Amino acid sequence: MTMSIQNKPTPVAPEKAPNAWQRFKETHVWHSFLKDRVAQLSFTIFMGYVLMALFAPMIAPFDPYDATQMDIMNSELPPSWNEDEGDPQFWLGTDAQGRDLWSTILYGTRISLTIGICAVLLQATIGIIIGLIAGYRGGRVDSILMRFADVQLSFSTMMVAIVVLAIFQASFGTALYQDLAMIMLVLVIGIAEWPQYARTIRASVLAEKRKEYVDAARVMGLGQIRIMFRHILPNTLSPILVISTVQVANAIISEASLSFLGLGMPVSQPSLGSLISSGFEYIFSGAWWITVIPGLVLIVLVLVMNLLGDWLRDVLNPKLYKG
Amino acid sequence: MPLLEVKNLDVSFGLRSGEIKALRNINFTLERGERLGLVGESGAGKSVLGFSILNLIAKPGRISAGEIYFEGRNLAELSPEELRSVRGNRISMIFQDPMMTLNPVLTIGQQMIECLQAHRKINKDNARTIAVQKLKQVQIPSPETRIDQYPHELSGGMRQRVVIAIGLLMDPDIIIADEPTTALDVTIQAEIMELMVELCERNNVALILITHDLGVVSQVTQKALVMYAGRVIEQGPTREIINDAQHPYTQGLMNALPQMAIPGQRLNQIRGAMPGLQSIPTGCAFNPRCDYVVEACTKQLPGYTVSGNCQVACHMVADMKKAQQAPEEVSS
Repeated sequence: MTMSIQNKPTPVAPEKAPNAWQRFKETHVWHSFLKDRVAQLSFTIFMGYVLMALFAPMIAPFDPYDATQMDIMNSELPPSWNEDEGDPQFWLGTDAQGRDLWSTILYGTRISLTIGICAVLLQATIGIIIGLIAGYRGGRVDSILMRFADVQLSFSTMMVAIVVLAIFQASFGTALYQDLAMIMLVLVIGIAEWPQYARTIRASVLAEKRKEYVDAARVMGLGQIRIMFRHILPNTLSPILVISTVQVANAIISEASLSFLGLGMPVSQPSLGSLISSGFEYIFSGAWWITVIPGLVLIVLVLVMNLLGDWLRDVLNPKLYKG
Repeated sequence: MPLLEVKNLDVSFGLRSGEIKALRNINFTLERGERLGLVGESGAGKSVLGFSILNLIAKPGRISAGEIYFEGRNLAELSPEELRSVRGNRISMIFQDPMMTLNPVLTIGQQMIECLQAHRKINKDNARTIAVQKLKQVQIPSPETRIDQYPHELSGGMRQRVVIAIGLLMDPDIIIADEPTTALDVTIQAEIMELMVELCERNNVALILITHDLGVVSQVTQKALVMYAGRVIEQGPTREIINDAQHPYTQGLMNALPQMAIPGQRLNQIRGAMPGLQSIPTGCAFNPRCDYVVEACTKQLPGYTVSGNCQVACHMVADMKKAQQAPEEVSS
């Protein structure tokens, strides 16, 4: 009792507006992240990939794009844990041209992630605009845009990509293609997959636009574009986030498949897919590491992104029961 | 010239099965600072009328005939840009459910500033000052911190205050309030209603109050429109309608108030239900439920009879008047 009497009333801390990070720590997303081991592990690994990609030039012991650092005498060296033939200089071994596999994988991850993310940004931009307009305007506009999406979906991504990239290579030559390979891949994968976004967003816009806050915004005298992008779009963000993670993984796989077919990144600038492809010829001569190691890297990357996507879907859609 | 004049307004909805008239031949005027009540059962067309004043009826509805003059301009014929400069600016609207009318992902401040910037060339800081000032006007405590909060952080009554503040933001001439207190609990209802009336009086704003609460209408409004199946069946000064309802439907509504029932007995009610807009009976739409029905009611749409300061759409009004007055004449 005496203690409490002697205690001066604690001064009330001046109320400060919580900053973005403090507010984020209060959110449901953060709490469920703290509870979910799989999500934590996936996120850590994914961040590892991102860091690897960002700092590839600093981490990599060799520059795989620099032909002067390559020595054909070093070709097809096994990983360095193989003490008979391995060279401690190349801890994951070398590929057929004598490039350090570790450095090449770092650079390849960088290319694969860049293509994946850029292609998804393109998909999202096209898909969001078309989906928003279709959902909000409705009627004839909706029918026309959604028929476009149906037509686009009826061509498989691979088919579109193979046809477009093959025609491009045939008509402009391989030299120009090698320069523009990355941009072409982003464009092709981006354009082939926009209906995924358009459909998802249209569906949520149809639900959102019936809500009263849209009426209220119209009553306030706001323009259609403003209502669509500032009022409705933020309310459809959770499905966008969820499909984005899955779509990045898909785009990376598409790119790898195309590269494997020889329609992706050139051997001089290999992505993970073209590395797998270039090693495939040597797999029967015993040089398994050129294919298997980049393959593992790719599988883990895609797996981690899909796991993150699943987790995000569960968090953002609490009505969904976990099966 | 009245501030708002609605003339022979028809609103219809084009459906596959044919055209449905949601509003038929609506006429009324509203002066600056006047308060008008729109009363009727659900589905009578009250909200459609509110929306059609702003020319914001959802598809497939449209204004099929008539004019809506606001300060001499016909709102039914304005271009979309001109209409936008009226909406929210000169005429604003308040909805029933404050949970739904505020965008859940934007802070209150963002929504208010956006509305200001849509109508005026004004920078963010000035807009924010005005927004804070309006929040203060609707008696929200510590508006400077509230303005940065999201709608879910406020209580229902608080949210409706914010909605009213947004309605008042541009100092409009008319506020259309569509059942503004239905979603709130009773104690807060009175507070919010009082606040609205006070603000309207202070700023000389006209109010169109859409409600099915006759008690609120009698306390708040000066003029009332009673609607039934898309038609105005009685209109005039609120006091006359409340004290001396002429139309059998209005009388029925008055009798249905809980205060009118005898304790221990069932509440009075009007038998039957309002017909759907597709199956409105010929003649007077109220005839299947009316106690005074005669042959003319089932054949001919009643015109408006003037009775005192009210207009009533009923064939029987004149007869009923006589019937009421007859005993008095005998006794005198």
